[in-house]
Amino acid sequence: MKYFAGIDIGSTSIKITIIDEEQNIVGYKISASGSMFYKYAKESLQELLLSLAIDQSNLAYIVSTGYGRKLYKEANENISEITANAIGAKAAAKEYGEIKTIINIGGQDSKAISLDNEGNVVNFAMNDRCAAGTGKFLDVVALKLELDIDDLGKYHFLSTGVPLSVSSTCAVFAESEIIGLLGNNHSVEDIVCGVHYSIAKRVVKLVKRVGIKENIYFDGGPAMNKGLVNAIENELGKKIFIPKYPQITTSYGAAIIGIDSYKYEYDL
Amino acid sequence: MSLNKQNIESPKDRQNRHKAMEAIRVLNNLKEDFKYPIKAMDYFYDLFERVYCKNESLHKNKVKVGVMCIQIPSEIIYALDCVPIRLCNGFYTDDEIGSEFLPQKSCPLIKATIGYFASDNFIDKPDIIFSPTTCDQKTKAGAIISNFGHRVVDVDYPRTKESEASREFWRKSVKNFAITLSKFQSKKLNKKNLKNSISKIGYAQSLYHKLSSFRQSNNISIRGVDVFLITNAFFFDNINNWIKAMEALLKELQNRVDSQIYIANKISPRILYTGSPPIFPNYKIPYLIEQSDAIIVADESCSSNRMFNDMAGVDEWLLDDMLDSISDKYLKACTCPIFTKNEDRIRRIIHLVKKYQADGVVYQAFAGCSVYELEQRSVLEAMEKEGIAILYLESDYSPSQSGQLSTRIEAFIEALKNKKRNKK
Repeated sequence: MKYFAGIDIGSTSIKITIIDEEQNIVGYKISASGSMFYKYAKESLQELLLSLAIDQSNLAYIVSTGYGRKLYKEANENISEITANAIGAKAAAKEYGEIKTIINIGGQDSKAISLDNEGNVVNFAMNDRCAAGTGKFLDVVALKLELDIDDLGKYHFLSTGVPLSVSSTCAVFAESEIIGLLGNNHSVEDIVCGVHYSIAKRVVKLVKRVGIKENIYFDGGPAMNKGLVNAIENELGKKIFIPKYPQITTSYGAAIIGIDSYKYEYDL
Repeated sequence: MSLNKQNIESPKDRQNRHKAMEAIRVLNNLKEDFKYPIKAMDYFYDLFERVYCKNESLHKNKVKVGVMCIQIPSEIIYALDCVPIRLCNGFYTDDEIGSEFLPQKSCPLIKATIGYFASDNFIDKPDIIFSPTTCDQKTKAGAIISNFGHRVVDVDYPRTKESEASREFWRKSVKNFAITLSKFQSKKLNKKNLKNSISKIGYAQSLYHKLSSFRQSNNISIRGVDVFLITNAFFFDNINNWIKAMEALLKELQNRVDSQIYIANKISPRILYTGSPPIFPNYKIPYLIEQSDAIIVADESCSSNRMFNDMAGVDEWLLDDMLDSISDKYLKACTCPIFTKNEDRIRRIIHLVKKYQADGVVYQAFAGCSVYELEQRSVLEAMEKEGIAILYLESDYSPSQSGQLSTRIEAFIEALKNKKRNKK
C-alpha cells in the first residue's frame, strides 16, 4: 500500500494529513509550530506514522506547504498554501457540491480564494501584514477575557442586543479597545460577539474583492468557532459550508497533489 | 567591572557598512542563483559593488546635478556639461534613518532619500538639486532637503497633461530650469551641445529598445532583475561607459540566441511588472517573482521602461524646437500616477502585455506611496475587463516580509502555470 503525506507548516500549527491512493484520509495530526518549524514537523510526521503503523518506506510522496514549506527538506515538492487549499477544499466538499469560493482563516493570515469550474485558482485576496481578522486575534481576545478559545462560540450566542463595535485594524490596539469596553461595563458575551463581527466584516471585504460565488467553503482552525461562522454568514447573507476537519484542508490538498505528482513522475 | 574598550563605530561608518551588506547580499543573490551567467552583466554587478560597497566616486571633476524625479530632462544637463544623478533611493538602511524626519506612513523611497541627505554621507555629492513638483511627498522632500542646507530648486510640474495650458506651463518650467542651470554652470545652452546630448540619450534609449526586443521573443535570454539593474545604473553611471557596456551585452545576447541558450522554461509565466519603482537594492518583488519560476518580460515603472520608452521627437533642430520636444517627452509621454486621470498608464500596460505576450501583471505599491495605492482600483478593474490576470501587492523596504509576499507571488504564478497548461 502506498501513502501520501501533505505537511502544512503554518505560523501557529503544523498539520499533517496522510492519505491513500484513493484520496481517503488515513490519519492526521495537528501540533504546535513553536519556534522550530522543521524539527517539530519532522517529529510530528514520525509520531503520526508510528501511531498509524505505517512504515516510512511506504510513504511514496511528501508535499509541503504553508509558511515553513521550504524548510522541510525531505519533501518531494513544495507548493503554496493557496493552491493546496483550493485542491483540498474541492476534494473535501465533493459530496456537498462544486466549491467556487474559499474563506480561510489561519494563525496570521486570512484569505479569500475564488475558483473556476475546474477548481483552478482564478483570484485570491489576503489580509495585509497584520493579525487583525486572523486566528491570532481570537487568541489575544480569549486570553484577555479569560476564556478558553473553544468557548468563544458559546459566548457568542449568549449575547443579546446589537454586537459591540471593535474597529481596530491591529490585534494589539484591539486589545486596548477591549479593555476600554470592559471598563465601560460591557458583558464578556457582547464583546465576544463584537469581535466575531469585526473579523467577519474584514473577511467579507476580502471575499468581495475576489467576488462572491456559490458555494462558499470555510476552513482553518477558526472555522470550528460556531459564533464566528454565524457572524460571517450574517455578514455575507449566505450559508457557508464547514468541512468535517476544518484545520487540515490545506494539508489534505497538498497530499492530493502528491498523488498526481507521483503518478506523473513515474508515468503511472 | 571593567569598562569594555571596544571601539564604537561612527554613524557614517555604520551606515556605510550596513549599506554595503545590503548591496552585496543582493548582488550575490543575483550572481549566484543564476545557472547561465551573462558575462557582460559583470560590468553592472561590479559597478554597483564599486559604488555601494567600496564608496567609489564616478564623477569627481564634474558638476553633479541631483534630480528628485524622472521629469528633469537629462538632455539639458548633459548639454551643459554636467552629470545628472537621480536621487531616488532603495536602501533600507537609509529608509530607517529617514523615518525619523517623516510621518510613519510615508513612502519608503522618500524616507530613504531623506535619510541619505540627513546623514550627510555622500559618494558623489550633488552640487545643485532640481525637484519637480510631482507627488506630495516628493515635493515636500525637496523642501526638507533644502532645510539640510542643500541648494534645491523647485521645477513646477503640472498634474494634468491633457490641456494645452498644462503643456505651455511645463514648457516654461523646462526653460526656466535650463536658464537656472546655465547660470549656475556659467555655460550657454546652444543648438550644437543640445543636439549632441539629445542624440546621445536617444542612442542610449535605442539600446534599451534593442534589449527589450530580446524579451519580446518566445525564448527569453535575460532576466527581469538584470534589466532593472541595468536601467538603474543609468541613474548615476557615466553615460559613455553605460553605452559601451550595453553594446557588449547586446552582442553577447545575440550570440546566446544564435546558440539557443535560453533562461526560462516554456511553462514559466511571463510577467509584466508595474507600480512603485524597484530601485537597488530593493529588488525584493522582482527577485521573488523570478525565484518562483516566472520571468519578468517587461515593466511599466519609472525606474526602467518609463525612463527609456519615449524619445524626444525633434522636427527642426532649432533651440526652441528642441526644448519643446524635450518638454513633451517628459510630460505627454509620462504615465506617472500623480496625474488626475491616467488612462495613458492603463493603455500602456495593456499595450505592453500584448506586445510582450505577458501571462499576468504584478502591481506593487509601496506602503505609503498614496498615488500608486489610489490608482490600484482603476488598474485592477481595467485588467479584469481585458481578461488579464493581475496581482496587487503592498510592500516596503523591510527585509523581513518575504514569507507573506512569496506565498502570494507563488500562488499567483502557480495559477498562471495551471492556466497555461490547460490551454495546451
